[in-house]
Amino acid sequence: MEETNKQVPVTVLTGFLGAGKTTLLNRILTEQHGKKYAVIVNEFGEQGIDNDLVVDADEEVFEMNNGCICCTVRGDLIRILSGLMKRADKLDAIIVETTGLADPAPVAQTFFVDQDVADRTKLDAIVTVADAVHLSTQLTDHHEAEEQIAFADVVLLNKIDLVDESGLEVVKERIKKINPFAKIINTTKCGVSLNEILNLDAFSLKRVLDVEPDFLTSDHDHEHDDDVTSLSFVSDTPLDMEKFQDWFSKLLQTKGQDILRTKGILDFTGESDRYVFQGVHMLMDASPMGKWPEGKERSSRLVFIGRNLESMNLKEGFENCKSA
Amino acid sequence: MKADTSQFPELDKTKFEQRGTDFKLGIPVTNAVTVGNSIAVGFGDGTVRIFTSGESSEPIKAHKGIVLCMSKDGDNILTGGDDGRFLNISLDGKISEIGNFGTRWVDHVAANNGSLVCSSGNIVYLWSPNHKEPKLFEHNSTIGGIAFDTKGRRLAVSRYGGVTLWKKDYSNKWNSSELNWKGSHNKVIFSPDGKYLVTSMQENQLHFWRLKDKIDSAMSGYGAKIKSFAFVDDSKYLATSGAKEAVCWPFDGDGPVGREPICLPYVGNKLVTFVEPFPNENAILTGLSDGSVFLSEIEKASNTIIIRSFTEFEVSAIAVTKDCSHLLIGDMGGNILWTSIWDEEKK
Repeated sequence: MEETNKQVPVTVLTGFLGAGKTTLLNRILTEQHGKKYAVIVNEFGEQGIDNDLVVDADEEVFEMNNGCICCTVRGDLIRILSGLMKRADKLDAIIVETTGLADPAPVAQTFFVDQDVADRTKLDAIVTVADAVHLSTQLTDHHEAEEQIAFADVVLLNKIDLVDESGLEVVKERIKKINPFAKIINTTKCGVSLNEILNLDAFSLKRVLDVEPDFLTSDHDHEHDDDVTSLSFVSDTPLDMEKFQDWFSKLLQTKGQDILRTKGILDFTGESDRYVFQGVHMLMDASPMGKWPEGKERSSRLVFIGRNLESMNLKEGFENCKSA
Repeated sequence: MKADTSQFPELDKTKFEQRGTDFKLGIPVTNAVTVGNSIAVGFGDGTVRIFTSGESSEPIKAHKGIVLCMSKDGDNILTGGDDGRFLNISLDGKISEIGNFGTRWVDHVAANNGSLVCSSGNIVYLWSPNHKEPKLFEHNSTIGGIAFDTKGRRLAVSRYGGVTLWKKDYSNKWNSSELNWKGSHNKVIFSPDGKYLVTSMQENQLHFWRLKDKIDSAMSGYGAKIKSFAFVDDSKYLATSGAKEAVCWPFDGDGPVGREPICLPYVGNKLVTFVEPFPNENAILTGLSDGSVFLSEIEKASNTIIIRSFTEFEVSAIAVTKDCSHLLIGDMGGNILWTSIWDEEKK
């Protein structure tokens, strides 16, 4: 895994306007950490950011001609990341700030699609700054807000001093319903230790092994059909590799637009290795991840975050993959 | 501690490496451009060095971070950097600022007959000779590349969705027309005979337009993005990187449609990352991802010689002096080979 060491981690910072992204950026840059960070900002930045290594970008979303119908990438990121990799001094991390109304998918997909970007950098984590006061309204009014929560590895729930305890619980429940895996950190003025948001390696396949869905009992009622929700499945019966590949690739091909993120650890009949994957819409990273730990039960776990999940017969599809 | 090893040339060194000078600078080489019998090199620390036979090359501090792009304007060098500056540098190292765009990078520069052009974001800035203020040409997306034709009357600007072709009419007014093809277009060049326009794309393919009738077509089948391509021997072939062979498309006659490219293989099965035409010959210098560089005759692949052995770093620049006496090779690991091409004794 020598290659991994050479890849500069990229943290994507999302969140609605006014949530506190710029406050967080300025904290990251002014804290005495002795690290060299480049920051890619968009032109609608809320206030000035003071750093040597600020790069202005336009959020340019490009369609790829790779046959993947929902595959869009951030063209400006490809250009800027490729440029930054020519620097003489090595960067410790790169932080990409997105505009309040940005969909995080094209940013994440850029790291799957562009070989140069994938060779030299890696998507570290998506950190979403959310305003504890306004998030509920924003989630109702803007699908972008839902997507930013759905894609998040960390949700920084900011301005908690401005809501009461029950209000805070309501917001947290709402976040968990969309994305049960995001780590929620309560803050005021984005006061968070940097090691909780940088260098998390959240997109590595190794981290998928930590997935422990604990929301199987949750009911799936929700107000609108296009709400983002999550579903997870566990099976102690080994899966048939061919059946699974068949079902899953068809599923992503036909429903990939509605499936925002997937993660899974799979136990295939006749295979001694654990298979791990994670995906963004139709794009996926997958690999065997070593042997199952001795003395531990083997089981398959599969998680979906997306829209209209209930219409996809996911449970039935997954059940059909079990080895007879 | 220094030991004199010159009397024990390592056996695996090529004759060019033995004859030339090896600089291990450790700073990624981003660009190289021929200016007469000198070669200017841009680096990933914002410096430029000028290599001239018999002279030492001192670093010129041009940009703050990275020299993103380079071109030449007569006897001067043009550079664009991540500090948002568009600079003119003379061969004796004098720097003058042509434009400054702050936190916006200067991604591409070009010049023709005293007209200077750079792009920053989605705007092309053109300084006509003796004009202090630039003309602005706005486009629908960030610009992937710019190129003048040989005469300087046409300026091609590649972008998302195709190329915008600016033409100067005889009252010196610039008018644009669009050449559209879905996808994101990066580097763009004219064929030296002015008949074709070629772009490399975000996908692993090239696209070309025949300008007289706007016929266009893709050149695909590559395993990687095509970062380097150039016309060879006037406009007879288009040599391209992006595969494990140097792929050379025929552009004589009616062009490449329906014809097979010539593929030049190299030992080691590595990706070709840089191609540079050898002046006035039907031959190319090919740089690979492991740092090795070869000189090949396109129509006679058996006439291939090794110029530099591997360094483990991808070749990112090759240039030959105008008089064909010297060549320079640079890579992403900051290694530079500067060597005479011909054996001094045979001269």
